[in-house]
This record gives sequence, structure tokens and C-alpha cells, in this order.
Amino acid sequence: MVNLTIDDKQVTAPKTATIYDAAKLNGIKIPILCHDKKLKPFGACRMCLVEVEQMKGRQIPACTTPVTEGMIIRTSTPDIVKARKMVLELLLLNHPIDCPVCDKAGDCDLQNLTYEYKVDANRFTDEKFHLEIDYTNPLIERDMNRCVLCGKCARICDEIVSFGALTFIDRGIETKIGCEFEEALNCEFCGSCVSVCPVGSLLARPFKFKARFWSLTKQKSVCGYCGTGCNLTLGVKDNKVLTTIYDENQGFHNGQLCVRGRFGYQFINSDKRLTKPLIRKNQNLVEVGWDEALEVVAGRLRDSGAASAALATARLTNEELLLFKQLMESVGSNNYDHSAGYAHAALTEGFAGSFGISASPSTILDIQKSDLLLVIKTDAYETHPVVGFEINMAVKNKGVQLKILSDKTGKLSKLPDAKTLVHTPGSEIAIINSLAKVIIDNKLGDASAVSLPGYADLEKSLADFTPEAVSAQCGLSADDIKLLASDYAKAEKALILFPVGQAYPGHTAALANAVANLALLAGKLGKEGSGVLCLSEKNNSQGAVDMGFHAAGGGLNAGQILDGCATGSIKTLLIAGENPLVSYPDHAKVKAALDKVEFLVVSEMFMTETAAMADVVLPVCSFAEKEGTFTATDRRVQHIKPAIKKIGQSRSDFEIFGSLIAKMGGVSSAAPAVVFAEIAASTPGYESMSYVSLGDEGLFASVDVKPVFVVPQTSAAKAESGKLALVTGSVLYHNGTLSQYGEGPMHVCPEGYVELSRADAAAMKFVENDLLTISSANGSMKLKARITPRMPQGVVFAPYHFGANPVNQVWNGAPVTWVTLAK
Amino acid sequence: MNPIKTFVPIIQGLKITLGHLFKKPVTLQYPDERPKVAARYRGLHALNVSHNKAKCVACYLCPTVCPAKCITVEAGEDANHDKYAAVYEIDMLRCIFCGYCVEACPVDAIRMTGEFELANYSRKDFVYSKERLLEKK
Repeated sequence: MVNLTIDDKQVTAPKTATIYDAAKLNGIKIPILCHDKKLKPFGACRMCLVEVEQMKGRQIPACTTPVTEGMIIRTSTPDIVKARKMVLELLLLNHPIDCPVCDKAGDCDLQNLTYEYKVDANRFTDEKFHLEIDYTNPLIERDMNRCVLCGKCARICDEIVSFGALTFIDRGIETKIGCEFEEALNCEFCGSCVSVCPVGSLLARPFKFKARFWSLTKQKSVCGYCGTGCNLTLGVKDNKVLTTIYDENQGFHNGQLCVRGRFGYQFINSDKRLTKPLIRKNQNLVEVGWDEALEVVAGRLRDSGAASAALATARLTNEELLLFKQLMESVGSNNYDHSAGYAHAALTEGFAGSFGISASPSTILDIQKSDLLLVIKTDAYETHPVVGFEINMAVKNKGVQLKILSDKTGKLSKLPDAKTLVHTPGSEIAIINSLAKVIIDNKLGDASAVSLPGYADLEKSLADFTPEAVSAQCGLSADDIKLLASDYAKAEKALILFPVGQAYPGHTAALANAVANLALLAGKLGKEGSGVLCLSEKNNSQGAVDMGFHAAGGGLNAGQILDGCATGSIKTLLIAGENPLVSYPDHAKVKAALDKVEFLVVSEMFMTETAAMADVVLPVCSFAEKEGTFTATDRRVQHIKPAIKKIGQSRSDFEIFGSLIAKMGGVSSAAPAVVFAEIAASTPGYESMSYVSLGDEGLFASVDVKPVFVVPQTSAAKAESGKLALVTGSVLYHNGTLSQYGEGPMHVCPEGYVELSRADAAAMKFVENDLLTISSANGSMKLKARITPRMPQGVVFAPYHFGANPVNQVWNGAPVTWVTLAK
Repeated sequence: MNPIKTFVPIIQGLKITLGHLFKKPVTLQYPDERPKVAARYRGLHALNVSHNKAKCVACYLCPTVCPAKCITVEAGEDANHDKYAAVYEIDMLRCIFCGYCVEACPVDAIRMTGEFELANYSRKDFVYSKERLLEKK
């Protein structure tokens, strides 16, 4: 810490702070346009000029000058105010004063400063810019006439998003922000640039002219897409969520969001939302009252008893999941599951076996504190983009080594010094085992690992996994495997990340076991910046696991439930928010099961493919309309409050399950807070939590790890000659099937596609956007071709989110599906 | 009883009355006669027109400043990507004719006319839509 004087006030600040940081830390405001706390100092706007006595009273920029001991700083002498006024006058010389039609007005740094410094006239005259405005992009509108060249957009796109879509182009007075060769914006559309723009140069097009900033009610919430648990601020007006608002102080991610979080909110107030309960009468779904609908459902549940089953989406709150479970128990059935029954297996079976707890021992905060990150599948960036930003920052700012094991290259592979080992699809478990084998054989690991239970069995089971043997089946060289093992073992702190989800059937319990073994062998557990982190797919996937909403105690899992529906042993199926017809493997099988089941109840926001098959459809509300808690992938429990009133007659799942429990003769809790108290009392790690103690930031549920070695079950994928290996996955712009109802994601990625390598495309004479017939043993379907350099030859990729062309028509849940492509 | 004290004020009063008999009457025979409205009178609003369209750019300053919350604006994007008021409504039942909307307007798009005959038969007719507010040529 250094001591200094700012405006006659004795203050202290860290040695690494700049004058601006030191002032901010001590509550002294220095005006600035080009600074964001996440970005490196830049010094573009010259608004933060201060005087330092030791520098002979010269005016220097506060944001780029480090503090030194004994500095005497003045932040607002008449000279400085005069200088700042002039800076503003010069900025306003070219900035069009079109505040009445600029959506930034009210939230505009330049406008606020102009007002604060009373710049109501300009001594200079010059012509305004007449640059072309980019209206064509559906998400980001660029009007460079308003730009003040602070460079924040270009810097955030480079430093955090690591995409580099925007940059300074041209020189001198003609300098402007644009894309390479002045082309159209074609990026990840995370909107980070929009969020940091101090003026109205970059604006969110979906929000264009919708409302003025000051008329919005700002409601804090938690994103309802992936498991990262990003915090959101929703901008609400007239019971409509109109936009998301950037708040640099929100969450571990400092307000940073991805395309889904920032532009995918439109499903909340979508016209397609269901507003009334529906019952099938004479083959048609007709609108009925809630009482009738719930009475019918309760009656069927009573009749079916143990022959009832439930599937829930991991987007429900913890409270709802607990009530749902209690409902099923009061019916007399323990058949309930979520996420297709396998997407949570890495936690519920894998980590439960290896660590004694169904949770990841590490958190997202460990990423930047690590020395080496081992990411399994580049898809980790696509499934959890904000975690991806953390990886970007770790690699670029902290010099963390990045090693990737993947069946294709991806965004993460492009990071500086990232080493991507592209293996044949489905061989990741064998490779991890092989890494463990190298560590054991070369004694690279932690000596104390030998004493852990199961070591001997593990050592024996790894006998077949020598790098040489594995390299033959995985397409990597033995040296690569050895080098990776030694790099991993030698790093002081190393963190393994892997995504799981419905589209990643290969990321099973065995992978979790293998990864856990590797971390244990190398002694990479229980230290800050080390460990393993399983990135679960949905916003409350970890919560669903914590609430025990999965097959246990003899209950059927999701696959078995659908089999039961097909054979007739399950008579009533309750589906809350899941869309198995699109997101579960094997379309034909799921359709047959849902056709066959006697009574299908679906509680949904939208008339999904699954809801359209239901006997009763109950309209439910979105995360923005209800109260509850979500548990993020690293067990951060966060409280959400309603931002708007419920749409139409929709009710929360909480109310529906409560009413049904009451109709079954049970006692239902009146409020989510009461149920959360129950959760806190009964769930390990949640002790002493309450809505009050969760606050805005949330709390981490503690993870008590009791490590043992578990031998991972492996089965080698058999390659079929002459066919291509189809791997399924998530695409950056989507999460599950919900994002189909968000306009933003659908603007960027409106339909399914099949991604293939240039070599394969050339060999089969396919060109971009060809409509290809993709056939597997399971069936065939048509998808547009997308040809990219990231796919290795012989491997094709298809995202699974789309109801219009669900990839489960050809995919039956195998990690690798062997397919043929034809035009 | 002092007759002077009793009758003098009455006579004085009658003098004034008598005097008025020979002056121009103050009473306006409305509606046969129409009042002359002052230039600064704050009557019904009108939306100014320029180049054959409303000058209003839907900046929302008038609904923001309106103390009676009687102005509803919804912005739209026209073919040139410019902002215009797709909806502009004033609820005259709530309006207090303070004229803040005129003061706040940055583009001189709204003014107040001398029109004061605003009586109507149903409540919904008091909500003036953009078409009704556009200045009459």
C-alpha cells in the first residue's frame, strides 16, 4: 500500500493502482469516458486529467498513471475543469447532438459529463461526420458518427471476448471503429461492445426505440440459460422485459454477458407464450380454467399412483424441483429425472463416486488463479461463454497455460499458446486414463495419492492405457500424451474443465471418474486454482442434482421412464419444461413413447413439440416472473425475484405443484422462502442459507470432498469404415431448446446445420449451404452444410437445439454416431 | 337612523350601475359571440408538421416531464431508420394544460392552440390520437 493525498484527503491505495483507481477506491469521482474496470488502462479520452504537485502541476491522465508514495493530487482545480470543458467541446465538435433520437440518452457518459460541466456552447466549428450507419445487423447497430474513439469496444472484444471483431481503422481525423476491411459485423454477438460504449455508437438493435433509459425499472436477476449463473439486470417497462442493462459491478463476471444472456430475453414477453391451461377434448387442445385442468391432472395422478413418472427441466428453481419431488412422492412414485437422465451422470454418478459428493470441487473463480487449464472439448466455450471469457482472461492476462483435448478445434484453440490435441471422437476417457498412466509410471504425481482408497485397483485397470496403446486409437501421438501429462503434473496449480449436457452423451460418469483420478493422482485438488470443474448445462442443473431430482432409490431414470411409457407400465407422465421430442436422443423412440403413454401432462411456457402431444398443457411463467433460487455449476446459490407480473393466466411451477400436492391430500408450502428454509435444513452445503443471506451476490454451497479412486468404465468407440463420425453439441448462440424463443439467438443462428471439414466437403463436392441428407442407422434428415476449417477430416458436428430439424432423428444417444452424407 | 349614512352608499352603488348602462357590455354572448383567445393561451395541443410529417421524433421528453402522466408515446422506426412517434396520445381528461410538454420539446413539435371547446360525450373521445392532434392546415 502507498500513501498519497488526493484533494487534501490522506488516502492509501495498493501499489499497483492507478491514480484513477486510488481515487475511486476512496470515493473520489474522476470523470472518464474510456475506462472500464475490466479493461487495461488506455488513456484515450483525456477527461480524467488531474494535477500532481510533484510533476510541477502538469495535467496528467489519472487512468494511466500509477500511484507513487507521497503523491499530492488535485482532481478539480479551475485549470483542470477548464481543460475538461475543452475536451468535451472538442468531442462535441464532431459528435452529433441527436440525443432526442439516440437510445443512449439518459445513460450516456458524454451527455452526463456535458451536463455536469455545463458545456452549453462550443467555441469551435467543424463539420460532423457523415459515415454510413450499419442498420443491417439484427443485434448491434453501429453509428460511428457518434463515436468518441474511446476504444472500449475494440479493447473488450480483444481483451475479454478475444474475438477482435472491432478495431481502429484509418488514421488521423478519419480514424474510426470498424471491422476489418470495413466489412459487416460477423462476430459472436455477445454485445460486450454495446455494453461498454459510453455514447450511442453501438446500440442493441432489439431494444431500438423501445423505451428511454430513465423509464426502465432495473431489476436484478440471474440468467436463465446456462449453468454459469451470470447475474443480469433486466430493464422492465409496462410489465415487459425490454432489455438487459449492463452493470460493471454485477457478479463475478463484472456484468459481462454472452449473446444468450444479453440478447436472448425476448422469450419472456413472447407473443407465443401460453396464457391459459389447455385440455385435449376430441383430439383438440381447448382452453379451460385452472381448476378443471388441475382437477383432471390430480385425478389421473391418483389413479396412476406408482405408474406415474415425472421429467423436469433443470431450469426450474430449487424450490420447484423439491416440490415436484414431494408431489411425486405423495403420489407414490419415485420415477423422476431430469436432463435425459445422463446429462447429470458426471455429477450424480461420477463425482458422487470419486468425491463422495455430486458437485464440482472447484469454482469458476479458480480459473484465473490457476497455472494450467486442461479443457476437455473446445465446446466448453460454446456451452458456457462467460466461463470462456474467464479462460480468455486467464490465458491472455495471467499467462495461464491452456491445454485442450477435443474432437475438433474451436474458439479456445485460437488463444495465445493454446495447445489443442485433436483426438478421434469418443476417445477422451482413454486419453485421460493414459495421462493418469503416464503420471503413475513416471512418478510425476503426488506421493500421498497412493494412500487413497482404490489406488491399487486403478493402477491395475490402467495397465492397458499406455500412451502407445492409446495413441493408436485416439489419433494423438504417444509423445503428445506424455508431454501433456508431464505439463499437467508439473504445473503447480491446474484445473480441468469439461462441459456436460444433453448433447454430450460421451461426457459420462466414467469421464468424471477419469478426470477425478487424474486430478487426485497429480495432487491437484483442494488448492485454490486447482481441481476439476464440471460445467453443467442449464441454469439450475447443479440445483436439480442437489435437490435429488434424479433416479435414485429404485426409481426409473429418464430413459427407462420413456421405455415404460412405450410398454405401458407408465400411465401418466408429467413433463415440466422439458422438450424430449427435440432434446432427448432418438426422436422416433421418444415420439412413440409419448404417443403411447395414456396421459401426458406438460407444463410449459410455449407450445413446444412435446406440449403439442400432451393431454393437458399447463401454462407456466418464466424465471423473470417468479421467486426462487438457482444453483450455478460451481454451486453458487443465487436468489431471483420477480421482475414482472405473470403473463396471462400463467402460474409458476411452484404454484402448480403446490396445488397438486394439496389436491393429493398433502400440505403444500405457501411461499418459496419456506421451501428454501426446508432446503437449507436438509441439503448438505446449504446449511444456514436464507434468501436474506444470499443477497445479490449469492453464496457458495460448501463442498466436502472425500476422494477415492474409481475405475472408469470405458468402452472403445468402434469406427465404421466409409462413414463419418457425427458428434452432437451446443452452439454458442443457443442453450437447450429455450433459446429458440429468444429473438437474438434466432437472428444469429436460426436453424440446425451440419458442420464438416473442408477436406470432406471437397471430396464429396459439397459447398456451403448445400442441403445434405444425413443418414445413420437410426434414420435420416436434411441439414444445411456448413464448411469450416475447425473440423478434422471424417468428423461432422451438429447442434441439437432446433425443433424444426431435430438432430435426434439420426442420433440415438451414442457419443459418436456414424453417418453418411449425400446431397 | 342617520339618513346620510344609509342612503349615500346606495346612491353611490347605483351610480356605478347606472354608469355601466352606457358602457359596452362585458358579458360575451357565447356561443353566438366568440372570445378572442390570447396568443399564449394554453388550449388543445397540436403536433406541428414539417415536410408533410409530424416533427415529433418520439424522444419521450414530454411524457417524462408531464406531471399528469397523460401523454403516451410509442416510438417506431421508419423506412429511413429514423425515429418517429408511431403512437402519440394525450388523455385530455388528465391533462392539466400546464404546457410543460411544449417547454420540454427539443424539436418544437408540439404547441398549444387556442382551442378550448373540448367537451365530448364519451371518455374515450377525450383521448386524442396522433391523427387528431396533428395541426390542421
